[in-house]
Amino acid sequence: MAQKKAAKKTSTPAAVPPQLFWKREGSDFLVTNDFGHFSWLKKKDFDALLACRVGEKHPLFEELSAKGFVRDRLDFDGLAAKWRKKNSYLNTGPGLHILVLTLRCNHKCLYCQAAAGGAAARDTDMAPATARACVDFAFKSSNPGITIEFQGGEPLLNWGALTAAVKHARARAKAAGKELNLALVSNFSLMTEEKARFLMENEVSVCTSLDGPADLHNKNRVFSGGNSYAATQKWIKYFQKKNEGQANGYRIFKPSALLTVSRYSLSRHKEIIDEYVKAGLEDIFIRPLAPIGYARNLWDSIGYGADEFAEFYLKSLDYILKLNRSGVVIREKMATMMLDKIINSSDPGYLDARCPCGAAIGQIAYNYNGDLYTCDEGRMVGWEGDEVFKVGNVFKDTYKTVMASGPARACVVSSNLEAQPDCARCVYKPYCGVCPVYNYEVQGSLWGNMSSNDRCGLFKGILGALFARLKNPGNAATLRKWVEK
Amino acid sequence: MHRENIVSVRVSLSTYNMDAVRYAAHASSGAAHVLIKPAGPGAVAVEFRPTGTVPGKKIAAAFRSELADEKLRASIHDANRELRDFMILKALSKEAAPPPARQDDSGLTPEQEKELDALIAQVESEIKRESTAGATGDPLGITRTWEDKYGAKKSRKKN
Repeated sequence: MAQKKAAKKTSTPAAVPPQLFWKREGSDFLVTNDFGHFSWLKKKDFDALLACRVGEKHPLFEELSAKGFVRDRLDFDGLAAKWRKKNSYLNTGPGLHILVLTLRCNHKCLYCQAAAGGAAARDTDMAPATARACVDFAFKSSNPGITIEFQGGEPLLNWGALTAAVKHARARAKAAGKELNLALVSNFSLMTEEKARFLMENEVSVCTSLDGPADLHNKNRVFSGGNSYAATQKWIKYFQKKNEGQANGYRIFKPSALLTVSRYSLSRHKEIIDEYVKAGLEDIFIRPLAPIGYARNLWDSIGYGADEFAEFYLKSLDYILKLNRSGVVIREKMATMMLDKIINSSDPGYLDARCPCGAAIGQIAYNYNGDLYTCDEGRMVGWEGDEVFKVGNVFKDTYKTVMASGPARACVVSSNLEAQPDCARCVYKPYCGVCPVYNYEVQGSLWGNMSSNDRCGLFKGILGALFARLKNPGNAATLRKWVEK
Repeated sequence: MHRENIVSVRVSLSTYNMDAVRYAAHASSGAAHVLIKPAGPGAVAVEFRPTGTVPGKKIAAAFRSELADEKLRASIHDANRELRDFMILKALSKEAAPPPARQDDSGLTPEQEKELDALIAQVESEIKRESTAGATGDPLGITRTWEDKYGAKKSRKKN
């Protein structure tokens, strides 16, 4: 019956497939749709899909109809539920709250995007009372689960504010019945047993920076007070050991690390990944530099083009897959988050790649003085003297004023992919997102111009590489394991 | 800029509408400055002035391919507009859907047409309410705090 119907439809000129996106890759076509489904098609099958000739006897009928590519067989309830799950963040307030406890830092990293000040500049320390006010503000979010992330500068330089915020947040969570995650991003150089114990007892997860082998790490992350690499390694091992042993009464999280790729990293992908494996880390987050903050001034010496990063990323991804095949457990974090969207139609909470972006409605950055920004990148722009992304102040503005502020609205509108002429047609639209701060800094407008936007080129490169590897059954099986739930 | 590297493509507006021309031209704007100008009755000339190393002829070829794709995209989009609106509204409304049954050429059953009309009326009413309220309107509750939304649920409190 349905097959007859499909055959009948192809004979009418009005026959069209449902809404879909496509991209030609060699002789094959990648097709995707708003529900997050994808399929690789040969040209004859793509032509059949466009002409509505995929009937019940077509070998791809089952797959394509289940994925919402056959117009006569759309599962309205199932697809709507899929869309709702994929875009679940639309119904919640900001989940990520970044507290910048100080702008002081004892490192002078080549690429520092955090716009850090010298270790002596105490006037940029957040007062404990401000830290508590920031926590109170974060708890106003309508999101049932919030993460408070302590950043800097180096947050351990302001231990008083950190402990005040942690204790206050734990008390507020208990009273409100909200799920609370606490996270510290630190270079570990000021970590002590006493501080580590406090963090573990209060279930604060720890994340550090690891840029690769000692020479590369120390070249990128200049630490006049000692050996940055040694401190990082020491405390990664410490927290791993504690995680393995666990404790009574509280959870001890595995430590994690972030990789920032400078020009010096580009030729050393294997060594960098081996370093992560050696350190016992199971995830590596290969992050490109962005020409924001201090990095913008040094871009000519440490920066690179999207094509150079894409090459580095692809080589790294293939090396990781090779290691996986030999039994080594390691995943690339950005790929994992993208795969979660592609394979599970889930929202992994990756605020940089969603529509609209996470600015204000997904995250808020709290500066040391209580000023509020759409995101940490927006705060960095503010530190350079341009307050375009400032959404309020924790002492002066209400939650409602901040959420409805001009910068918040502007970021939502400009990061809506439906309103971006290139993105609205892009095969990667169901998984991608734009960054108004990047666009503003690099291209001079919140909207930017995706056809010449390096960040867009980079995301296209990464998503293209993932879809290409999903075509290979062996790689696909490995990649699917990364996001098995 | 060498004049010989500038390439112009004539497009008949009876074959492609202006929206398709604009979108296809925009897609090429990363590699060239693009100027769309009248070229006699029912036609436009799209001129490409390369800004990088990609030759004008290659940019023009990519534009022609994009133009054909855009025409197809537009026809698919137009034919699916109601269906897509229905699906997204359904996803946002959280209401249970009637089971899919026989479909007419719009892709919707009469019951689903009715449901779509109801959903559209609901959204239009919300938009009207919001526009009446001015900038303070907040139908999705984005600006509402945790206490505003869940203040009554004291049972969530843990000790």
